[in-house]
Amino acid sequence: MLKVENISKAYNTVLAVDNLSFEVNDGEIFGLLGINGAGKTTTFRMIIGLLDMDSGKITLDGQKIDYNITDKIGFLTEERSLLTKLTIKQQAMLYGKLKSMNEKDILQKLDYWLERFSISEYKNRKIKELSKGNQQKVQFIVSIIHEPKLLILDEPFTGLDPINVKLFMEVIEELKQKGCSIIFSSHQLEHVELFCEKLVILVKGKTVLKGNLKEIKHDYQKKNILVKGKIKEKEIENLPGVLSIKKVNDEYLIKIKEEKYIKDVFKVVKQSDDITKFLVEDASLNEIFLDKVGEAYEK
Amino acid sequence: MKNKLKYLIKESLDKKIKTKWFKLANLIVFILIVGLVNIDKIINFFGGDFDSKTNIVVVSDEKIYDDFQNIFTSQSIVLSDSDNYTIAYKKDLDEEKEKLNDKEKTVIINIEQSNDEFLKSQIISYDDINNYTKELIILSLNQLKNEYVALYSGLNEEQIKAISNPINPSFVLTNPKKENQNNSDEIKTMVIMILILPSFFLITLLTQMIGSEINEEKSTKSMEIIISNVPPKIHFLAKIIASTLFVVLQGILIILYALLAIIIRSIITKATINIDSLQIKDLVSILIQSGLLNNLLTALPFIIILFLFSFLAYAIVCGVLASMTTSIEDFQQLQMPLMIILVFGYYLSMIAVGFEGSFFIKITAFIPLLSFLIAPTMFILNQMTLWELGLSSLIMVIFTMIIFKYGLRIYKEGILNYSSTKLWKKLFHSLKK
Repeated sequence: MLKVENISKAYNTVLAVDNLSFEVNDGEIFGLLGINGAGKTTTFRMIIGLLDMDSGKITLDGQKIDYNITDKIGFLTEERSLLTKLTIKQQAMLYGKLKSMNEKDILQKLDYWLERFSISEYKNRKIKELSKGNQQKVQFIVSIIHEPKLLILDEPFTGLDPINVKLFMEVIEELKQKGCSIIFSSHQLEHVELFCEKLVILVKGKTVLKGNLKEIKHDYQKKNILVKGKIKEKEIENLPGVLSIKKVNDEYLIKIKEEKYIKDVFKVVKQSDDITKFLVEDASLNEIFLDKVGEAYEK
Repeated sequence: MKNKLKYLIKESLDKKIKTKWFKLANLIVFILIVGLVNIDKIINFFGGDFDSKTNIVVVSDEKIYDDFQNIFTSQSIVLSDSDNYTIAYKKDLDEEKEKLNDKEKTVIINIEQSNDEFLKSQIISYDDINNYTKELIILSLNQLKNEYVALYSGLNEEQIKAISNPINPSFVLTNPKKENQNNSDEIKTMVIMILILPSFFLITLLTQMIGSEINEEKSTKSMEIIISNVPPKIHFLAKIIASTLFVVLQGILIILYALLAIIIRSIITKATINIDSLQIKDLVSILIQSGLLNNLLTALPFIIILFLFSFLAYAIVCGVLASMTTSIEDFQQLQMPLMIILVFGYYLSMIAVGFEGSFFIKITAFIPLLSFLIAPTMFILNQMTLWELGLSSLIMVIFTMIIFKYGLRIYKEGILNYSSTKLWKKLFHSLKK
């Protein structure tokens, strides 16, 4: 289990991370979200020991993270951290050896993953000769080749087509099943929604939202109502608690302030006789993110 | 962690050696060294105007011709150039003038007796005469005139011969340490060149190697993955050791190529005339007789320490500079002052021969980063004692340890820094940590 307790880091007078705390259990996927410059990369760097924190504590399975346990951590950086003049085999050998693996294991695991990602034929090709998507696959392979206990994925789906995104998701799910703790960061929040059980949203280093994703979505007051059929748009728009109404394809999307206003909307909608759909949904993570981040900026 | 260090050294070394470019570059270097050592043979093989003999035609009376011919031949033998000339006597100047053309190198020397000047001469040729031939003719004519002057003064033949003979002084040194060191200056200069020139070249190579490697790892962000698995100290050490090992290996290869080139020269020479192989033996015997070989062997441990630690120091400085920059272009600009220091040391070691006893040059022989070029030169020139050479090596070792200690602090900060904003402030701050 990864435990991050009250960590802070400042660059000169700028506070990059402010008193951040969270836990990632074994076999759990955790989302660390925030816009650019929110403090995500600084947090990752502190977790893997690249940066010293000003205060706080980080432990993996109760042990302070240092060079004695970094072999248990896998890290996929946002930018490509590959030596492009090397071949895939040489690159895997370098990172595998740095994780204290022996040559036989590295080659065995490499063959397995190359086969899994359908790039076996590129094993002896230089990385710079590969497409962006294939480079990302290599980067992912070398970050998991040593079967890490903790895996940090910073924007793992960059440059991937939907089929490969699906393949990555399957592999991440498998790692989770094997008990790997995964910290996940992505600007594509639909991916986070699919994956993460828990998350933290950072704005300028500060935690603006934290907790279990289902609870967060449930507790979030604003709701969406989807309606299909002819409705009195103006009347609904003027109802108290209705934030907006707009037509998306052949449906209406009505946003309301709180759950208690659903019945008021329903009263107006049921006056129409051709309604085929009336669906109340929690707000999407994207909406929650925009709302919370926007609020934090306004403050 | 030791295994990771060993692996990083091996990986860094493999990246430099196990490439087709290393093999190709070494093949080219080998061919160039063989070419340089055998450059005279190559020039002669292809031939040219220098290869054809110059015909010296003397138009005068027979007595003057005989005397001139003796003098000219002996002068050209002294200058080891007698093979390039033929000399002949002719009577008719006009007839010889008509024969002049652009195909043959012919020089007519018309010598006449004169009441006013003893001898008068006119040199006629179709084209320009090279300076060397011109000087040889003038030297011979002057000597001929001196002999005639002496003859008219009433001196006998033996006295004239004695006057004509050039002074050949013998040099005697009373310093007991130097009594056997005559005629070894050329050898000393040669030994200095052999020591200094490859070292200069290897350091230049070293700085480029370490700079580009660190820059590549930094700019691709693979540095973050590496440093999250090994401490910066291990990574820094691996880069320094691998780069130093590489230049040492390259240096050994260059020495091997030079030896092979000498063997090739000996084989070529034996197939033609057996003169050069004797010259190599002569050089070795001069090295032994002058005591230079013995001195060099005594000082060898100090020289090796000095070179090795200088390579390490340059690698450390370049590693630190590379860690501070974010692109190879920035690194190349930042390493320029270091290159100037290197050129300064090279220049001082070259001019040390001409400034014997210079206090300034001697001081520079103790300054790290310069000392490896200057101290061995001063020692070979007998301007530095073995004890002083040892002191210079010791200073270099201490300097290397100090810059590693403080350089590592900057390196730790620099390798994960991607911004040039307040760079110097950050680096000075890291020195205090």
